[in-house]
Amino acid sequence: MTRQRLLPVLLFAGVIILALIPLGLDPRGYEMRILCITLLFASLGQAWNIVGGLANQISLGHAAYFGIGAYTSTILLKLFSLSPWLGGVIGMILAVAFALLLSLPTARLKGHYYALATLAAGEAIRVIANSWADVTGGPVGISVPYLPDGSLWMMQFSTVLPNYYLFLAALVVICLVFWKIKSGALGYRLRAIKENEQAAEVIGVDTYRSKLIAACVSAAITAFLGTLYAQFQFFFDPDTVFGVATISVKMALIAILGGVGRLSGPLVGAAFIIPMEEMANSYFGSSAAGLSQFAYGAILVLVILLNPHGLTALFAQLRDRFTGKGGSHDRSVA
Amino acid sequence: MTAPLLEVRGVTRRFGGLIAVNDVTFDVHAGEIVGLIGPNGAGKTTLFNLLTGVYPPSSGDIRLEGEASGGLKPHKIARRGMTKTFQNVALFMESSVLDNVVTGGLLNNALPEARDKARQILDRVGLSAIADVRAGDLSFPERARVEVARALCTEPKLLLLDEVMAALTPAEMEEVIDLVRSLRDDGTTFIVVEHHMKAVMKLCERLLVLNFGELIADGTPTEISRNDRVIEAYLGANFAKKQASQPVETA
Repeated sequence: MTRQRLLPVLLFAGVIILALIPLGLDPRGYEMRILCITLLFASLGQAWNIVGGLANQISLGHAAYFGIGAYTSTILLKLFSLSPWLGGVIGMILAVAFALLLSLPTARLKGHYYALATLAAGEAIRVIANSWADVTGGPVGISVPYLPDGSLWMMQFSTVLPNYYLFLAALVVICLVFWKIKSGALGYRLRAIKENEQAAEVIGVDTYRSKLIAACVSAAITAFLGTLYAQFQFFFDPDTVFGVATISVKMALIAILGGVGRLSGPLVGAAFIIPMEEMANSYFGSSAAGLSQFAYGAILVLVILLNPHGLTALFAQLRDRFTGKGGSHDRSVA
Repeated sequence: MTAPLLEVRGVTRRFGGLIAVNDVTFDVHAGEIVGLIGPNGAGKTTLFNLLTGVYPPSSGDIRLEGEASGGLKPHKIARRGMTKTFQNVALFMESSVLDNVVTGGLLNNALPEARDKARQILDRVGLSAIADVRAGDLSFPERARVEVARALCTEPKLLLLDEVMAALTPAEMEEVIDLVRSLRDDGTTFIVVEHHMKAVMKLCERLLVLNFGELIADGTPTEISRNDRVIEAYLGANFAKKQASQPVETA
């Protein structure tokens, strides 16, 4: 039980530390950008965790929501100078609409079939974004109009420091949403679906509705993160924001590698994967571009072989080995 | 007599060329404990699956409290008050015993009330001591009990028990029989599939006998034990012929 009292304290301390880190760094520097991207991907992993972790619906199409969010707010900003906060909300609505549409053919699918169907849907949206050049700008990409006098309302700043705090705030909010869902009635229902869908139905769980709610919440969050990303990067193209490897698989990978279904999973996963990827790029990037991806892949395989339950489980085992406790009981916690 | 709680009329289920349940008709009244027996493969579990909506019937009518329930999704039928336990046990194996039962309680309650209700039920079925154990770590008889507790937490009017006494010791069987009786006295109606004849004869006031998907008998345990078609189905035609020439002995 001490663990349960300890957890909020640890999380609070973690947020304070994350809030203090930038004070020692160059606000325009490379490290700040990596930290921002790490926070963003921790949030994305957590959004994916609602569907992939709690209900075990392995989506490989979440880039669709991310790209819808990024393009919607950016196009509205370009055309009508609409604040990205409002554009982001409209992006969330569109993403939810797409999630509802996608649920019609996919909600009854399980396992590999669900993964493949969502993968295909995500790719379809990428192809549409590439070909619908009148609206999206097509493969050449789209630039967020730069406003010299940046403001919070227009989500534009002269350094990335405010972006960092925005990403941190988003991560805290999304973690709270995840925790609320996981520990609430919906969390029970999703866990029941994950562990035995037929039994869940027979004892009264509306499995279709529960999965749909989870998918919509996850889609809306992912879309808003797309808006935050657009306002941070200022330029993107369909292959980046709708990409399978760049977004969809990476979201899943971060949650799975960190510890799927756990609150701490995507946090650990992002803190591991994003800096590692950046380091691999900077070490091998100039000499042999392919090598960075190879090193990245090799490390992933190694971690998964070491512990299929993810890094958080690996840490728990190591801790238990040092403190001499039995390991398996911690599996259900956080 | 009041209207039946469950009315089954001409229910048939085909799987390809196989007729698993064939034109079955019966009623169950509130407060009954009805046994459903028959040789392996007779269609008992399929019938339970049709009643709870796991599969829709190919034809025929199922009514719960007078309203058609055949072909509805299982969660809708559970909401109407009918659910079942699973023959081969289908618990949420990674979750604790308590969480398994709480999930059933969420059908009619918000989470805090569902938790209270689950604890009461665990108390009643004698599982409080293992409330925090992972369901996957339990023995088979314990799992079957958790199945019962989880189903009870949905507050069913009609509960279908599929071989919950399999692998129990005689003493444990007595406990389950007492539990089902006391639950019945509190207003739950039961249909029970069980292979252990002594337990069935003791627990049930009425038996339905299925053989090759057909309902071949419906009566009190004494009537059933003298029924020629039942004896033939269970013990073979030759035995039945021999039996017919001798005075009948009941089980």
